[in-house]
Amino acid sequence: MEAKKPEETFIDAPPPIMGSWKRLYLFVLILHTLLIFVFYLFTKAYS
Amino acid sequence: MHTTDWIVMLVTLLGIVAYGVWKTRNVNSTESYILGDRELKWYTIGLSIMATQASAITFLSTPGQAFDDGMRFAQFYFGLPIAMVILAVFVLPIFYRLKVYTAYEYLEQRFDLKVRRFTALLFLMGRGLAAGITIYAPAIILSIILDWNLDLTILLIGIVVICYTMFGGTTAVSQTQKTQMIVILSGIFIAFLYLIYSLPQDVSFGNAVGVAGKMGKLNIVDFEFDLSNKYNMWSALLGGTFLFLSYFGTDQSQVQRYLSGKTLTESRLGLMFNGIFKVPMQFMILFVGIMVFMFYQFEKPPVHFNPSNLKVLSETPGYDDQLDTYQGEFDKVFDEKQIEIRNLISAIDADDQSSITNAQGKLKRLNSQDSLIRSGVDGLIKNYSKEYDKKLDTEDNDYVFISYVTKYLPKGLVGLLLAVIFAAAMSSVASELSALASCTTVDFYKRGYGEEKSDRHYLNATKMFTLMWGCLALLFASTASMYDNLIEFVNIIGSLFYGTILGVFVVAFFMKKIGSNAVFAAAIIGEVAVVSIFTLGKLGYFNLPYLYLNLIGCLIVVLLSLLFQQFNNPPAHDKNKDGILDA
Repeated sequence: MEAKKPEETFIDAPPPIMGSWKRLYLFVLILHTLLIFVFYLFTKAYS
Repeated sequence: MHTTDWIVMLVTLLGIVAYGVWKTRNVNSTESYILGDRELKWYTIGLSIMATQASAITFLSTPGQAFDDGMRFAQFYFGLPIAMVILAVFVLPIFYRLKVYTAYEYLEQRFDLKVRRFTALLFLMGRGLAAGITIYAPAIILSIILDWNLDLTILLIGIVVICYTMFGGTTAVSQTQKTQMIVILSGIFIAFLYLIYSLPQDVSFGNAVGVAGKMGKLNIVDFEFDLSNKYNMWSALLGGTFLFLSYFGTDQSQVQRYLSGKTLTESRLGLMFNGIFKVPMQFMILFVGIMVFMFYQFEKPPVHFNPSNLKVLSETPGYDDQLDTYQGEFDKVFDEKQIEIRNLISAIDADDQSSITNAQGKLKRLNSQDSLIRSGVDGLIKNYSKEYDKKLDTEDNDYVFISYVTKYLPKGLVGLLLAVIFAAAMSSVASELSALASCTTVDFYKRGYGEEKSDRHYLNATKMFTLMWGCLALLFASTASMYDNLIEFVNIIGSLFYGTILGVFVVAFFMKKIGSNAVFAAAIIGEVAVVSIFTLGKLGYFNLPYLYLNLIGCLIVVLLSLLFQQFNNPPAHDKNKDGILDA
């Protein structure tokens, strides 16, 4: 099997948005927390 | 089924497959076959990951689950975004740096060949058995509802998947999954809109949601800590996160999806895509189930949703009149519910709390009567099974959504929704076959027997292994009727192997001092212990829910590895410490 050299794909570049991976991960987790909060409000509103 | 539906369904499915085959016409090396030349963009990876996880049974069962139990199942997925972030931070860079084809290849670099092979073998056993069920589970439901021959339905799903997976490998899988997911999401959304349109003219969407809430169906979030409750916030965040770490981090059918990324960045973005959209997607599917529930508050539902069971009872003397009695009582309760639901809507509109409480109480009583009548029909089915020694499943939630689709959707839309379900079945099976074949070639065949052969040889070998696993899956699917509860059976199979596999990977990633001999011995003992615990539980010595086997297997491997390493100093094998542990 012929494989590309690791460096061709292993480029630890920053994400195209938000500037850094740390910020992007934080964005995903905060978004998830907000979603759960919205679900909580939804549950409360219709119970 | 109407001709229009046949045309829509076949054109949709053949179009998806043709697109996948066309996009993979240049697959001519093992790397392009197994990893798609690592050319995939983030959105293809994200959709492919979602399509692999969402099997046909997801679209058949989940609305039925909401219909029966409300929205709380959504919490099951709350650990998923956390798992996605953990994998993107810790696991992806390691797999990319080592340029592995399979997750188990990494274990040889971290430990040695025997640990790699043992873990890969556990995966092959678990996933190989599950692939058959992934075909059988939707086939049995579709064959009953559409009155098709079961074996032909199994063959229809299986042969199409085997052909395009064998032809184009992982790229064909990913490319078809991309279009399959677009069709699936569009189909679900159209069904949702049609459900709103199908409500009675005097009932608005807001009214329907309000009534569903007052009937306890919109209970998404539950913060109460209760170990006996399967779905709450805490079981989701604690148990769910581990489950998804295990599934997405160590199951080759998922690992192969994101290893096909053009770069580490594309793969990470693919995981983030899944982390952001998976929970809303599940919410949407569950909400469709809620709307089906509301639809059946105004349209008389059958007393039992599996038409095959009803047919058997209605054609058997002694059972037919009892079924008629239950149906009569059920219809009477339905008519009473009509009045109370409209009273509830008026009370909600007027914001009259005492009238709301009053209507809620009456509806609760009527729903209890409903449940009692349904339980009575279940009892009839059980009695029939005992008397005639025939296995009939009383569980009918899986039939709720598909019954609605085939009975109430207009021509054309039925074909589209059936295409959605077939597409979902095919997308999961394709990933499984591709992963099984890759693992067999890379972790066993190439590593053990033919290192010196040409790339063309391994490409052909992988295609043959795809065919072999496809045939095994079909064989297993055709004998799967002997198992009572298919979904539970799949989960039990997974639970028997996942815990040990996760334990090995946890040690590999996070315990740099532990060598191969210690983890290998721990993994064997862990697997034997898990199987023993499960067997003893089946024999009635104790009652342990099978989901705990994941945790037990993982803990045994981690703790025993630590213990054995004390007697095995210095570490037996840590040849790749730089590449793995300091990543």
